[in-house]
Amino acid sequence: MVPSLAAVAEPPVRQIDGAAMDYFIIEAVNTLRASAAVAAARAKKIEQEMIDGGLIPPPASGPPAAQRDSVSSNISRNSLSGQPTTEDEEEGLRARLEAIGVHVGANVAERLSHDRAMFTDTLDAVKFICKDLWAACWDKQVDNLRTNHRGVYVLQDNAFKPITRISGWEGRANSLRKAKLYVAMPAGIIKGALHRLGYQAAVVPEITSLPQCTFQLKLPKGT
Amino acid sequence: MATTSKQYKAIGEDIWKGRTEKINAELFALTYGALVVQLVQDYEDYGEVNTQLEKMGYNIGTRLIEDFLARSALGRCADFREVGEVVAKVGFKAFLNITPTITHAAPAPASPTRPGGAPGAQANAAGASFTLTLDENPLAEFVELPEEVLEGGLWYSNVLCGVLRGALEMVQMQVQANFMSDVLRGDEATEIRVTLVKYLEEEVPVGDD
Repeated sequence: MVPSLAAVAEPPVRQIDGAAMDYFIIEAVNTLRASAAVAAARAKKIEQEMIDGGLIPPPASGPPAAQRDSVSSNISRNSLSGQPTTEDEEEGLRARLEAIGVHVGANVAERLSHDRAMFTDTLDAVKFICKDLWAACWDKQVDNLRTNHRGVYVLQDNAFKPITRISGWEGRANSLRKAKLYVAMPAGIIKGALHRLGYQAAVVPEITSLPQCTFQLKLPKGT
Repeated sequence: MATTSKQYKAIGEDIWKGRTEKINAELFALTYGALVVQLVQDYEDYGEVNTQLEKMGYNIGTRLIEDFLARSALGRCADFREVGEVVAKVGFKAFLNITPTITHAAPAPASPTRPGGAPGAQANAAGASFTLTLDENPLAEFVELPEEVLEGGLWYSNVLCGVLRGALEMVQMQVQANFMSDVLRGDEATEIRVTLVKYLEEEVPVGDD
């Protein structure tokens, strides 16, 4: 491979403004929160119709109202600030963000890796994630990579771009909760990228203190 | 005219060059595309998806305008014609690094006038409009819409209409922004028409949406 030729062959990288992207992501989260709720309500309605029609048995734990009360997280009805109201809704949102990430990650990885040779092993692929993918998405490389040499890798970024600017007007606990949501898409990006490279991995993000974030990757054993 | 078209282009270019943070447009296009797909799945109604994209754009626009005003240091526009010029040559350039072409139209009888031709009073009347023609659309980089989506009436980039509406509302203009055509739909060009509904009185800011 001749790096300089490849550079000439690639069309110039199109760019857009970073702040515009940030605002877009913030509003995308709000939009998805709403759409997740709509989809969930529709699914519940269908489920109820099937129960009413005798097609499926009613839920074991009693009438739906009681079921809702048994959800253990903080519930605030009709929250004007748009915060998720139940664990289910939060999960619906998180899953959607991750799914979008998977799509993005797969495509980015495809573009980035299309000139290079096949990855020799898992570590090679993980290093690609730590360097190339991270640089393409978050303008830096992973700060620390640890592994137990048995398929588990921990990637640490001390100033993870998607969460460096989360401002918590309501305090630290809320900032942390927001941050957890904002790392769902990046987790998906990593997952999608690995999948595209041929590795089915479980990716678990963890934030202990902003703006530091770690991602635990569990890759299947072998290679 | 206080500021010429060329000067606006230069201002736009300067702002773009001065932006400290730029990201790969592909990331943006991919994220937006996946978002649209998710919304189609969740709402199962293309009209509703159009509405949600516009609403999302509106919220983005209300934030973008602050950023824009801070960076561009442009004063108030003299008339709606000038608004169009600034939007096309400075606004789009600063955030998306594209410069749509613009055609202005006075209110009914709606015969398109060449820039510089419309008398000031008419250019400010309700019903005045401009049409932005996007030769490139960073949102739609790798997108091809399937048949049923085309027939269902989805305006893929409808977020842009919302951004325009939200941003302009924050500077005291109530507008309607709509797609007229889209190459994604097989049309000749991608066009957004922005029509002035009315100027808004300065008001005490309302609470959160």
